[in-house]
Amino acid sequence: MAAWDLSVTVEDLGPDAPPVTISVTSDLHTGGVIVKLVEKTQIKRDWSDHALWWDQKQRWLLRTAWTLDKYGIHADARLVFMPQHKPLKLGLPNGTTVRLRACFSNPVFQTVMGICRMFNIRHPEELSLLRPVEEKKKKKDKDLMEEIYDLTEVPLSSGTLIPFLSRPCLYNGMPAHFADSENMEAIYKMLSITQPPPAPEVISKQYRPASVVDKAHINGRWLDSSRCLMQQSIQENDRLWLRFKYYSFYDIDPKYDMVRLTQIYEQARWAILLEDVDCTEEEMMLFGALQYHISKVSQSEPQTLSSSAAMDDLESALQSLEVKMEGESSSATELLENMTAPELNDYLKIFRPKRLTLKGYKQYWFKFQDTSISYFKSKEESIGEPIQQINLRGCEVAPDVNVAAQKFLIRLLIPAPEGMNELYLRCENEQQYAEWMAGCRLASKGKTLADSSFQSEIQSIRSFLAMQKTNSGSSAAASDESINTHSLVSPRYHKKYKPKQLTPRILDAYQNVAQLSLTDALMRFLQIWQALPDFGLSYVVVRFKGSRKDEVLGIAPNRLIRIDLGVGDVVKTWRYNNMKQWNVNWDIRQMAIEFEGNVNIAFSCVTADCKIVHEFIGGYIFMSTRSHEKGDTLNEELFHKLTGGHEAL
Amino acid sequence: MEDIDAMFSDLLGEMDLLTQSLEQGTVPSESLPTIKKEVNFSIGFTDLNESLHELEDNDLDALMADLVADLNATEEKIAAEIRGLEEPSPPPPDLPPPPKVLSTHPAPSSSSPSSRNGSSSGNVSAPTTSTTSPLPPPPSQSTKPTKEEMEAQMKTDKIKLALEKLKEAKVKKLVVKVLMNDGSSKTLMVDERQTVREVLDNLFEKTHCDCNVDWSVCETNHELQLERTFEDHENMVEPLSAWTRDSENKVLFQERKAKFEVFRNPQNFYLWKKDKKTLKDMKDKDKELLIKENFCSTSIIVPDLEGVLHLKEDGKKSWKQRLFQLRASGIYYVPKGKTKSSRDLVCFVQFDNVNVYFGKDVKNRYKAPTDFCFVLKHPQIQKESQYIKYLCCDDAWALNLWVTGIRIAKYGASLYENFKTAEKKAILSSAWTNRSTPSGSSSSTPSPTIKVKAQSQANGHASTAQSEPLAQDFGNPPPPPPPLDELLPPPPPDPVHPPKPPSLVHKPAAPQRHNHSNFPPPPLGLDNLPSPPLPQPIDDSSEPPPDFLPPPPPNTSYGSLPPPPPPVNFAPPPPPPPTSFGGIKQSLPPPPPDPQFLPPPPPNPVFTGPEAPPPPPPPPPAPSPAPLRAVGRPAGSVKKMPPAPPKRTMPALPGGDGGGGGDFMSELMRAMKKRSDQ
Repeated sequence: MAAWDLSVTVEDLGPDAPPVTISVTSDLHTGGVIVKLVEKTQIKRDWSDHALWWDQKQRWLLRTAWTLDKYGIHADARLVFMPQHKPLKLGLPNGTTVRLRACFSNPVFQTVMGICRMFNIRHPEELSLLRPVEEKKKKKDKDLMEEIYDLTEVPLSSGTLIPFLSRPCLYNGMPAHFADSENMEAIYKMLSITQPPPAPEVISKQYRPASVVDKAHINGRWLDSSRCLMQQSIQENDRLWLRFKYYSFYDIDPKYDMVRLTQIYEQARWAILLEDVDCTEEEMMLFGALQYHISKVSQSEPQTLSSSAAMDDLESALQSLEVKMEGESSSATELLENMTAPELNDYLKIFRPKRLTLKGYKQYWFKFQDTSISYFKSKEESIGEPIQQINLRGCEVAPDVNVAAQKFLIRLLIPAPEGMNELYLRCENEQQYAEWMAGCRLASKGKTLADSSFQSEIQSIRSFLAMQKTNSGSSAAASDESINTHSLVSPRYHKKYKPKQLTPRILDAYQNVAQLSLTDALMRFLQIWQALPDFGLSYVVVRFKGSRKDEVLGIAPNRLIRIDLGVGDVVKTWRYNNMKQWNVNWDIRQMAIEFEGNVNIAFSCVTADCKIVHEFIGGYIFMSTRSHEKGDTLNEELFHKLTGGHEAL
Repeated sequence: MEDIDAMFSDLLGEMDLLTQSLEQGTVPSESLPTIKKEVNFSIGFTDLNESLHELEDNDLDALMADLVADLNATEEKIAAEIRGLEEPSPPPPDLPPPPKVLSTHPAPSSSSPSSRNGSSSGNVSAPTTSTTSPLPPPPSQSTKPTKEEMEAQMKTDKIKLALEKLKEAKVKKLVVKVLMNDGSSKTLMVDERQTVREVLDNLFEKTHCDCNVDWSVCETNHELQLERTFEDHENMVEPLSAWTRDSENKVLFQERKAKFEVFRNPQNFYLWKKDKKTLKDMKDKDKELLIKENFCSTSIIVPDLEGVLHLKEDGKKSWKQRLFQLRASGIYYVPKGKTKSSRDLVCFVQFDNVNVYFGKDVKNRYKAPTDFCFVLKHPQIQKESQYIKYLCCDDAWALNLWVTGIRIAKYGASLYENFKTAEKKAILSSAWTNRSTPSGSSSSTPSPTIKVKAQSQANGHASTAQSEPLAQDFGNPPPPPPPLDELLPPPPPDPVHPPKPPSLVHKPAAPQRHNHSNFPPPPLGLDNLPSPPLPQPIDDSSEPPPDFLPPPPPNTSYGSLPPPPPPVNFAPPPPPPPTSFGGIKQSLPPPPPDPQFLPPPPPNPVFTGPEAPPPPPPPPPAPSPAPLRAVGRPAGSVKKMPPAPPKRTMPALPGGDGGGGGDFMSELMRAMKKRSDQ
């Protein structure tokens, strides 16, 4: 067989080096080509990750046993010899950027699996890569400032051979490669601990989709899961985003999923802050309160798995209880006597707006005991019958505070058979206010001052007061207390409210979440997010067959919805479980779906390739097939079957 | 009336004295738990007195019976405790005592023997009333523990006790009159910690209804003409304590289809926009999927409701229309001239501090546009107020959608949990009733003494604890026995029961309850009845053992029978049986006893006769013989066992023998009920 010259660009020789030419025959297999190449370059190194890329055909020659003939390669082929894993700059859901080596030769689905394995994120099928939104970065070269975490030194695990461990073994609570050095440990912390609230300017500078159509454009950026990065023109050191693509989070277990949970939370937080998902003002305040709480708690209890910490606490609490009980001489009545409930006593001013007389505030001696407030004419008369006793159980408590004006009001709405009684308590100073406010809050939930959360409640009220102070100018407050409340809500509310006005509203919502552990708070955030009506919708602008205008298709974990662009209303809903089959006509790029009851729809996609839509639908159907009975191994083949295009089959 | 009141306070005073005397002596941990009950009682006194005034005479009779039973129980306990003190460790001499235990738990014994081993611990925990809990520790101590260990054990027990006491010290009890559908009423004692579910279980016992999931406890507000179904997980006393003193509010016991409709036809709520026909033809598979999607994921999904409702303006009699939207975080409306986008919505109400009620007769009362009205108010508001929000829907369908949607938003996962519990309960009870019905009630109704009645009612408390365990194993109606074991603190009784098993098996649910009610004192009674049990058990045991002894040898457990009792101390009888069963047939532990029992059935009737008059004594005898027989026979005749198994496992099958027993039990119950009602 005749020998001919094949020229191959060897990437490792530098961009300007001429191609290496070797003499081959058509029946030489690609493995042989590689051996010849390596011999010719005379460079000694580990070539095991290298492979041949055929530029014109946009494909890798990964089957080393195939001959050149079988591949159809002739002398005019432009081949490049290069590593399959190359560095990539990856934007994470938490806004940080990581540089790591990703696989450029396998389908993106596997590339993502590799990345997730490195990060210790379970269920990589829920994530994917997309091209980032171009930033308007003319003004300043902020990129120089950006910190890039380097993970390129992490040894490559051997591709897809190792099955994805559902319960990865950890070293010191993290994958072994993160335990190597302090540097690496810091990166793991960055991955597994939530980021502090962003500065308000950062939020307002970010791109915010203004309409459903804007949101639809984002979804045109997803990479094709069944093709490799090279085939999608991703170059070495390019920037991509890693995001949760399918909003169907399976089996979240905080014990194994700290990174995953943190990143889901970060993605959810940004979705809220950037109004990617719409919510009401009340919901926004609650999200804000949770963010505040999460950032506070994650600073104070770094790294420990909160669940085990909670267990320890319980353990030690029980222990100390036992010790206490041993100390006492056993009789229960004695115990009871010793447990006198704490109380608050002070002069406060009271005002009842209901009474028409404009008496204003009157001062009395107040006593807070159990869940009730009683008041007397004076301290001296406090032994006798109170003028009135008010049980606060089930009441509504609202703050009315202006630190600058030294106004510390507690507004109480107290339920009674006849309706709600409104009354105000006026405190003299911060300390007094914090204590009585905390007492009222607990009492409204039926807890007494003896409750263990009393002190922390006081603390959180004080820190919120401190927030108001810093916002109003004095920079004295401790730095860790000074979160600008504008960092916790979307820019819409920056315009609507001053931080000062926002603080009491967030504090109001905060009282319901203040006792949550970090994990519980993260989970609560996700739950509220998932309960939003628009949660989990990915939009695509489509044109239905027979229709003359663009409409929006919303793809959710369990259904498709058709939205009229003009009105913004949902016109129609189709659930996947009624779906009989779906087809893609790749020639005219049209999707056709058949539902039970002879319902047929067909549409072409405007803002995204129909492969992306096809993959979304197939992907969600794949997600719904996961179950514990089938084990935790990822059925990759099924995924490709459901999402692949015609090439894949 | 006043006389009765006086008697009441006398009784209560006596009980106080009793309990005090109990506390003085350092009582072994066992007795303590029971004491607590009485303590609560006296503490709740003031409340009781208040509520007593509203009672009618016959109600008082029933309550009196309860109290008397409690008193008796206390006395018995004291006696038992004294005995216990004299005889520190109950090893060999204890043999007699075990029978007592058994006798108390005749019903429980029916439960599968196999479960006994594991169940013992479960039993302990199940009865919150505490009688059981104390029991477990002693046995372990007696068996091996060194003195130090025992001391440590005692200490931890004491700590637990003290903790419990602290908690119970403030427990308040209410006497609640519940109106039935037929206009009659039942009077219940509800303690502060009881949930509506527990109260429902109590009512099931008292009414013999079919226990289906729709049975609900509802509250009506007379003054406001409102009505609300309590959710099963809610605390019962709390909403009732919001009632004003003179209120004409009522508590009803009724079937409410709407309560769990969302779990039977989730499509009606989650896909309400679809046409009625699609909804009606929804496949079960799709319904399940809907429930899974909305109730079983990380987050509970609230149906996306949206619609125009009529809102009564604050304090006025005028109504205006608004476009309302239900979200997980509350009800919102769209302000005039704004879009429906989330950010423009105005919050109308959040659910933390309000409950949802049905409003009645609003057209007349408030000139409402329709009578399909739901009301949101703070539970403590009992009278007309501007803080009550009235909303009217256009039709009943929409009203149902909104009220259910609000309940999902407010209660979330608890609703589904409630449903699952109620469903299990219903399945279990239906299985049992099936069995019991076939059996004819030939046995003469025992003449229940006042004591018996009283005891049964007193047990009511204990029964509440049981309800939980029952619920757990609903999936399998046949397995009812296991739940019983859990319910019945004293596992040992199981072995004893073999004689009675038939009856027990047949009517697991009903009998069990009945037993409880009838022999509520068991825990107490057992302890208290040392004298009668001793002689009988001994006799029985002595007789059968010799006969069986030969066969037993094969089983290791059997051989040890005599000695085993001591180690187990409390549960001497039970331990052997379990082991023997296990040895004989691992998979079919229960069956063996049955076949063997077949012969015993005759004895059972006999028993019933004697039992009836002196409830406490009879049980002991039965148990003791039974255990022995069971043990001996299994070993001896392995082949016979196989046939029996089906009976035990399958509640329905054992209609014959069990039926008879069940009837007897139910008759007894009925008799007691009658008396108490009178």
